[in-house]
Amino acid sequence: MTRGVILFAFNSPKYNYYDMALYTARRVKHFLNLPTTIVTDEDSLPEVQDDIWDNIIRVTPDKDNFRDWGLWINKGRYMAYNLSPYDETILLDVDYVVNSNKLLTLFDMDTDFCCHNKTNFLMHPGVPQELLSVYSYEALWATVVMFRKSKRAEQIFQCLEMVQKNYEHYANIHNFIAPVYRNDYALTLALRIVDGHYCDSSNFIPWDLLHVGKNTQIYKNNSDEFDTEFTVMFDNWQRGKIRKEYITVQDMDFHIMPKDLFLDIISE
Amino acid sequence: MDTKTLITEAKARFAHNSAKEYLKEKYEAKLLVAEQGGLWRADQETIAFLTVMPNGGDDKLILMDTFDNPVLVDRSKLLSKLKGVYRSVMAEWYNEWKELENKR
Repeated sequence: MTRGVILFAFNSPKYNYYDMALYTARRVKHFLNLPTTIVTDEDSLPEVQDDIWDNIIRVTPDKDNFRDWGLWINKGRYMAYNLSPYDETILLDVDYVVNSNKLLTLFDMDTDFCCHNKTNFLMHPGVPQELLSVYSYEALWATVVMFRKSKRAEQIFQCLEMVQKNYEHYANIHNFIAPVYRNDYALTLALRIVDGHYCDSSNFIPWDLLHVGKNTQIYKNNSDEFDTEFTVMFDNWQRGKIRKEYITVQDMDFHIMPKDLFLDIISE
Repeated sequence: MDTKTLITEAKARFAHNSAKEYLKEKYEAKLLVAEQGGLWRADQETIAFLTVMPNGGDDKLILMDTFDNPVLVDRSKLLSKLKGVYRSVMAEWYNEWKELENKR
């Protein structure tokens, strides 16, 4: 039984996703002791490649997706099932900070596929769960996905491909904004379709995905590459003034939403 | 600039409630245990139930796991595992909580 992590990383004019993936792969090796496969393109790969990679898979990315800050190459995640060389795979977003060995618990779960359905924001607890739209489902999260090579997991990824290719149609039905493709939304729909519009709790990772979101800064407390202590600082607006608040987190994974913050952490 | 200086210069206040919330997230996740084909929470309720439900000679018991699946388990074995996890995780939680209290 082989196990490993797969990362998708395609550089955009604004952000270097390969560097983010490299940082994440090093932490995967350190905290999880798992091999990592990267799915990327020739344009993103540096001339000298790092030996952290178990496999480097080159694909031609779909560059037809734009966010407010520019080109965002995030389509094609459905290929993870066919491209993964492992029997049991964790598919991670490159901006997920592996900061403990918690993800290994996913392999103990008796399910072929799971992802996060609940999230929380560090320093901003109680934020409501995101909905696809007011009258639609709560969003699932493609940030961390565990799957086993199985008929069911294959069907979910095939359905993810179908949703991606007909995204505008699903956006019309569920009343969300189509021009920006989001894997989270596509996964939400794909999993529901495969499960007959019923969502079993065994599809879900039984702890919350923790985000570092807007108005937040994050700093490494020590220069050691694998130190697990970070300070999270939050701009709390009160009576028209910002009051800085902070906490210290240790031995716990989190997802950094603003890419600039993630790149700051890498460069510290 | 190191983090301590940064906190001082920014006149940042330690966010006690957020820290408490973070500890809850962190340690509740650590209380999850995969054992005997089910996923369990090593919490007070589960441990109490396992303790008060001896089940005759073979010591087997059917229990709902965190995914709402009924699972046939070896009661003593599961109880022993969950007690061990509970003790170690709660000790860590308590120590970190005490540190946090000192920051008030």
